Amino acid sequence: MLIVDKLYAGYGLSEVLVGTSLQVKAGTLVALIGPNGAGKSTTMRAISGLIKPTKGQVLLDNKPVQGMDASQIARLGLAHVPEGRRVFGPLSTEDNLLLGGYRRLPRFFGFRKKAVRDLERVYELFPRLQERRRQAAGTLSGGEQQMLAIGRALMADPKVILMDEPSMGLAPVIVEEVFATIQRLKETGIPLLLVEQIIKRALEVADYVYVMEHGRVVIQGSPAELRKNERVIAAYLG
Amino acid sequence: MTTSIVPQLIVSGALMGLVYALVAYGFQLTFATSKSINFGQGELVMVSAFFSLTLTKVGFPYWLMIPGGLLFGVLLGLFVERAAVRLALEQKSEGWVLLTIILGLFFFSAAENIWGRDDQPFPTPISANAIQVFGVSITPLEISVAVGVLAIMGLIELFKRMTLLGKAFEAVSSDRDAAELMGVSARRTIMLSYGLSGLSAAVAGILVSPITTVGPTMASVLVLKAFSVAVVAGLDSGFGVVLVGLVLGALEGLTSFYVGSGWREAPGLVLLILALAVRPSGVFGKAVIRKV
Amino acid sequence: MVKRLFFIHGAELLVFVLLASVPLVVINPFALGLLTLLAIYGILLIGLDVTVGYLGQINLAQAAFLGLGAYASGLTVTHFGLGMVSALFVSLLTGLVFGAVIAFPALRLEGPQFALATLSFSALVATTLNEWESVTHGAQGLSLVRPPFFGVNLAAQGFYWLCLVLLAIVWMGMHNLLNSQWGRTFEALRDSPIATDAMGIGTFRHRVAAFALGSALGGLAGGLYAFNFQYLQPQIFVWELMVILLLGVVLGGRKSLWGAFVGAAFIVLLPNLLSNRILFQIFSLFGLLTALAAGGRSYFRKTIRPFQAIAPIVAMGLLVVVAFTVQNIEDLRRAIFALMLFSVVVGLPEGLMGFAARFLSKLFRIAPAALSEPAPLDRVLVKKAADPSPLLELRELKRNFGGVRAVDGVSLVVRSGQVHGLIGPNGSGKSTLVNVISGLYAPSGGTMLLRGRPLPVGSLFNAARTGISRTFQNLQIFSELTALDNVMVAMKDTYHKPLPLVLFGLARGEERCSQSGALALLELVGLRDEARTPAKDLPYGAQRLLEIARALACHPDLLILDEPAAGVAHPDVRKLVEIIRNIHRIGITTILIEHHMDVVSELCDVVTVLDGGLVIAEGRPEEVKRHPKVIAAYLGASA
Repeated sequence: MLIVDKLYAGYGLSEVLVGTSLQVKAGTLVALIGPNGAGKSTTMRAISGLIKPTKGQVLLDNKPVQGMDASQIARLGLAHVPEGRRVFGPLSTEDNLLLGGYRRLPRFFGFRKKAVRDLERVYELFPRLQERRRQAAGTLSGGEQQMLAIGRALMADPKVILMDEPSMGLAPVIVEEVFATIQRLKETGIPLLLVEQIIKRALEVADYVYVMEHGRVVIQGSPAELRKNERVIAAYLG
Repeated sequence: MTTSIVPQLIVSGALMGLVYALVAYGFQLTFATSKSINFGQGELVMVSAFFSLTLTKVGFPYWLMIPGGLLFGVLLGLFVERAAVRLALEQKSEGWVLLTIILGLFFFSAAENIWGRDDQPFPTPISANAIQVFGVSITPLEISVAVGVLAIMGLIELFKRMTLLGKAFEAVSSDRDAAELMGVSARRTIMLSYGLSGLSAAVAGILVSPITTVGPTMASVLVLKAFSVAVVAGLDSGFGVVLVGLVLGALEGLTSFYVGSGWREAPGLVLLILALAVRPSGVFGKAVIRKV
Repeated sequence: MVKRLFFIHGAELLVFVLLASVPLVVINPFALGLLTLLAIYGILLIGLDVTVGYLGQINLAQAAFLGLGAYASGLTVTHFGLGMVSALFVSLLTGLVFGAVIAFPALRLEGPQFALATLSFSALVATTLNEWESVTHGAQGLSLVRPPFFGVNLAAQGFYWLCLVLLAIVWMGMHNLLNSQWGRTFEALRDSPIATDAMGIGTFRHRVAAFALGSALGGLAGGLYAFNFQYLQPQIFVWELMVILLLGVVLGGRKSLWGAFVGAAFIVLLPNLLSNRILFQIFSLFGLLTALAAGGRSYFRKTIRPFQAIAPIVAMGLLVVVAFTVQNIEDLRRAIFALMLFSVVVGLPEGLMGFAARFLSKLFRIAPAALSEPAPLDRVLVKKAADPSPLLELRELKRNFGGVRAVDGVSLVVRSGQVHGLIGPNGSGKSTLVNVISGLYAPSGGTMLLRGRPLPVGSLFNAARTGISRTFQNLQIFSELTALDNVMVAMKDTYHKPLPLVLFGLARGEERCSQSGALALLELVGLRDEARTPAKDLPYGAQRLLEIARALACHPDLLILDEPAAGVAHPDVRKLVEIIRNIHRIGITTILIEHHMDVVSELCDVVTVLDGGLVIAEGRPEEVKRHPKVIAAYLGASA
């Protein structure tokens, strides 16, 4: 369960978020959409701790985490799949996955043994990753890297997953696969916050939708309600 | 006799060059995680060598002294990170250049006063009697330098590859923010890199002191030579520094004999300037795609 | 006006007169020696401050230049019997030449590498001076006799006045230089080398010039040093001296002629400080109290991190301990310098003068010189005749990053006088495209033509010189400069006067011309009243507008605006639209990357839509908005 309450954050002098509020309840997938520059990615980064909010609260299972270091928040069970995937290129696929489980695995020895079951689960979900387990992650295709990034998040046995523009830069066929995976993730019951540029996809898979503009949430509702809302369409094409 | 001088100079010099390689390796460690290095690393080598010497003088046998000296090196490395580097990193400035220089100067002066200005011999159980290998005379002591350097570099590389913490180290080097999102604290990883760098400095000190004696000036130009090696070898090649170190050491040996012992430092310095001129990206800036 | 002139120059004149009259009043050779050394170190530190203060680089070679200049003049006097003026000229030239030579490899490097290169050079010089005994007499030292000055043998007094006069000349010259376009450029380079290149100001050549200037002054100081002591040893010009020089510059205050002077005074008095135990104890206590006061104050105001408050206190405390317990303070000389330098760098980075300046400006409110009237806008930005011919043509332009094809064969035409919009989803290649056009990246394939001729590739500087100007998505303003200076620095076409005239203060006319032009541009973007505000203190929206004014100062043929409305609050967006409309009326061709569709619709004559590195649509805004491919790209393909 993730609650964001009147969050303010920005970069240097520029204040991008001006009072964003949203909620992600257990077992739901919440989509965050809006035009570019609205502050969606900034919201993700402020939640996961990559930037520190100036005002407002972020509650992870009712525990306030705003202002903490990103690594602390991650260790509390928040998994952020960042924009652009950001896999560790020089490390192998399997190493990337193991690092995903960093918060739960022994630091020195014995981590491989302990991670066996989690790895199996991820490989079941993404068989292609198992084929390429020893390959350097930087050599994987865009779609495979996206799978790896999601797999990494799962290895942490997270309480909440944040996914930032998983479709960016991917061919339409691969985007299909990614959203099929997201659908399967939904079935596991983990709360998911999804930022997505392709509105149609976001509306298909979400239980609830927030629309952001100029740093705050301007419309919210179920996908059905939003499809009928003209303002949403207008927000994108002026 | 004169004809075998050249290989002799080359081999003896090259073995010393391995010490530069080890210090350069220490630079690679801290640079990988934090894009910073300790400009006072030479003083770190010297102070830990002195400390190790003191340990032997108060009664520690050689093999017991080693872990003590190494621990001290780690602590010094952590101190450098806390006192001179962390603030600048937080402010995203390059103030660590000046601050590590200042710290090095402080260590130099402190060492002069605690241990005196004279060069002192460093005891070792390893024999200094020359043996003949392929017509060149080497001492087991010199061989121990090679063994020690390769051993410590090998151990650290094993650590990076075999432990999860080591993989986390590589992760921070590759993408700091993404590593944080995995729960890896970049700050603690940087501390680790400076600790390891201090460790390698202590090893270098212990290895080289029996040959060169311990003195306040023993490592003053070491930084620059280690830099030449690091710049020429490049960032990523952990063992490339070994090769370049060997070459530089050999060059120095030849220069010292044929040109004059005072000119010994020159090849390293010239090499550094040339390397920076030809490869400006060198240690500090792989061709980074600038984001504007 | 008179008050201002009197205050700024009055203080300097007063000090000069005081210093000059000392030998007439006080008959103490020791004091005279100190003052002579003060003048020499003053020149040396002014030189060092050019790179350390203005360029913000850690220059570790200044002691080496001092040594080179000293030995050069010493040797020319001993071997060729030159007079003082010629010998000093030789030492100046030595510093200049060596500085220029080392500058070429060193200045393409960023901070730490630059420090390394200068450090190596310094060590190399020390080795050479020591080892090349046939020339320098090595460690034994070189004795020389002070040469006559225009035939007159100078005694201590006369030599002192010569040094003082040279200091005064250097001071005035530097004052004029640093208050001219040169000074502005140095500071701009430090704040954003990317932006200086993009404004057509050669980053590299200016850095080399600054460094060579500093090293020339170092050489000159070296000549005076040689004639002062009449005995040289290589051991003088070593690392420890360099640290002392840095201590002087940082303690005195960077970017300040007065700071260099105060720092020089400190250095000169340093040996006395260390040899007199009581004095040192008082000094260390004073230092501790200052650290406590300053650190405590800033910590409670939360302006600094705890470490910045505590560390200087610890360092100064250690100094006090040393002062009261150690028998022979001299032995711990270097540790003491280290502690002092550490405290200043961490706790008082602006130095004494920077600190004092804040108080002085509060005590004495000096109204700055009145600004000139802004020039009429049409003289600054000449209205261009309507001309529908193509200005910029791109043919199958490509740019790859590894396997990623960010721009995958884009062809488009930008016509003169139009506002050409460039839109597309995230990751579509818009920014990469303009980065290639403006020269930040070289293309991986295809051609670019400006007015039918190939555009220079891969160089911001060359592209700027051809008439392309731009703003940046991540602001690249010169934060430490005022808004006015930000624009003035980019008005490069107004500065023609050669360097010697600038040094003598004879280029004021250019300054006024440039100032009025810059004010006109500031007025265009509505920032005229903020002309004197440092750019970093402006609100975000104003900073964006400032970047536009600066980009216009280059009189571009093609202006690229990269998401000018990003992060800007809604009312400011309206202002921005008005400004761009005015720019359009003047006839400047503009490429506009924007996400705000309403902005694009209002302003653009033509819009090109990118997706996945390719053009998917082009036309008037209304057409493009209805284009099925565009809708698909933004909303997702309809099933």
